Amino acid sequence: MNKILLGRYLPGSSLIHRLDPRAKLLLSFYFIIIIFLANNWSSYFLLFFFMALTILLAKIKIGFFWKGVRPLIWLILFTVVLQIFFSTGGTVYWHWGILSVTSTGLVSGIYVFCRFVLIIFMSTLLTLTTPPLEIAGAMESLLKPLKKVHFPVYEVSLMLSIALRFVPTLMDEALKIMNAQRSRGVNFDQGSLMQRLKAVVPLLIPLFVSAFNRAEDLATAMEARGYHGGEGRTKYRVHQWLYHDTLSCLAFLALTIGMLLLRNW
Amino acid sequence: MDLSINFEKVDYIYQPNTPFAHQALNQVSFSLPDESYTAIIGHTGSGKSTLVQHLNGLLKPTHGRLMVQEQMITPQTTNKELSDLRRQVGVVFQFPEAQLFEETVLRDIAFAPKNFGIDEEKAAQLAKEAAEAVRLPDSVLDKSPFELSGGQMRRVAIAGILVMKPKVLVLDEPTAGLDPKGHQEIMELFARLKSQQHLTVILVSHQMDDVAEYADQVLVMEQGKLLTQQTPQQLFSQVEWLNKHHLGLPHATKFAFEIEKKSTFKFSPLPLTVSQLANQLANFLPKGVSQDE
Repeated sequence: MNKILLGRYLPGSSLIHRLDPRAKLLLSFYFIIIIFLANNWSSYFLLFFFMALTILLAKIKIGFFWKGVRPLIWLILFTVVLQIFFSTGGTVYWHWGILSVTSTGLVSGIYVFCRFVLIIFMSTLLTLTTPPLEIAGAMESLLKPLKKVHFPVYEVSLMLSIALRFVPTLMDEALKIMNAQRSRGVNFDQGSLMQRLKAVVPLLIPLFVSAFNRAEDLATAMEARGYHGGEGRTKYRVHQWLYHDTLSCLAFLALTIGMLLLRNW
Repeated sequence: MDLSINFEKVDYIYQPNTPFAHQALNQVSFSLPDESYTAIIGHTGSGKSTLVQHLNGLLKPTHGRLMVQEQMITPQTTNKELSDLRRQVGVVFQFPEAQLFEETVLRDIAFAPKNFGIDEEKAAQLAKEAAEAVRLPDSVLDKSPFELSGGQMRRVAIAGILVMKPKVLVLDEPTAGLDPKGHQEIMELFARLKSQQHLTVILVSHQMDDVAEYADQVLVMEQGKLLTQQTPQQLFSQVEWLNKHHLGLPHATKFAFEIEKKSTFKFSPLPLTVSQLANQLANFLPKGVSQDE
């Protein structure tokens, strides 16, 4: 259960932790776009250097980032292998039918690997340094312009915050039910695929029942406290754009210029 | 007397080697004889629930070892070795009705024996016996467990554990959320089962009245450490010590203690239950008072 890193916030007070969540959200997306500007070794080097710098600023051990990579490692390796075998151009080292290993293939395989690692590192950095509810809040305020086209911004962001809020609660609940069923002789991690699928039923049904009960309680509690939709609601956490947010945007601007220069070099 | 349970310097650490690492059990050692009734008390987060989960191998110690019903559990024990233990140690978790999922009450009770490889017919037979043991009326057996009242759901869930015919019964706040009548019925049910089936019972509870009434020894946990193992009589006579650790007293004991403070009246020993209190007080009242009324 604890392997899932998504939405796992590491409390801290580093510069990265203190950035405005809107800035963090936008800049991490921007970083992912910039990654695709890289087309040679020096530009990848610059990206990794920038990434390392932000990780240092966040004061989080590098081990956490590798843990983020681990669940996706097979997908990454699969893509890398595809790149290596199906790219053409450069010196041919080996080939068989349509498969070939060429120097271009090897290089682009490594590039793909680097891209994946960078994307995962940056999104892990975002979730490790920003509480899930802050991310939801940031999304709400960034989506606000969509209200003009009658997009239900408040409702969507409320749904998102509730979903995020209840992830740990439901995980706890699932763990409790698993323990209870284990005590009744269920084996969740042994037996054939069919047996394991069957073992999920005694977990899922109670989990659904309790989730529905919880949803109903939550709805009652919200109404009792006067919730009537998002219109006119004030916020407890108000986002403030500060000096260091502008500064980090400037850092990204510098990164972009650097990337453009290196790209055409 | 044979030992049913023996802990030797058990440590348990949640999420070791991360910033979230948390030591829930710290060098816990104790032993409980067969057919004993032990209460575990302590505040929320003192490690009671973690301790309980070791008893049927849901958790394995990070360091140290324990023996339950002649099954040794060390950090290296595999889950396969523990399957038999799960059958011998029945655990009733907090709010056990959360484990109900089958279409009918009977099928839900029969779930555990079927998991342990008992055939359908025999499992249904066992389930009927268990339902009878917890005094569920026959009329509910074919209903969906989700149609029942809270108290009845609790009974179904308890029957679902008793059906395994465990030798050790672990109860983690089994009466939380029940009304006083349901509470008393369930507690008496466990006491009856213990004497009928010669069970070793372990009760996690915040209800000092239950501890005083039913347990023959008490383990006190605080911040992952075992503070003391005593009989209820010894424990509840150390009022100062209990206050220091923010633990409550049984109502009868508290009443007696307050009387002693405000008068020259001395109880010996300090009563633990209402009937003990009444007996001692009655000795001091002039005979025949009740007839006068």
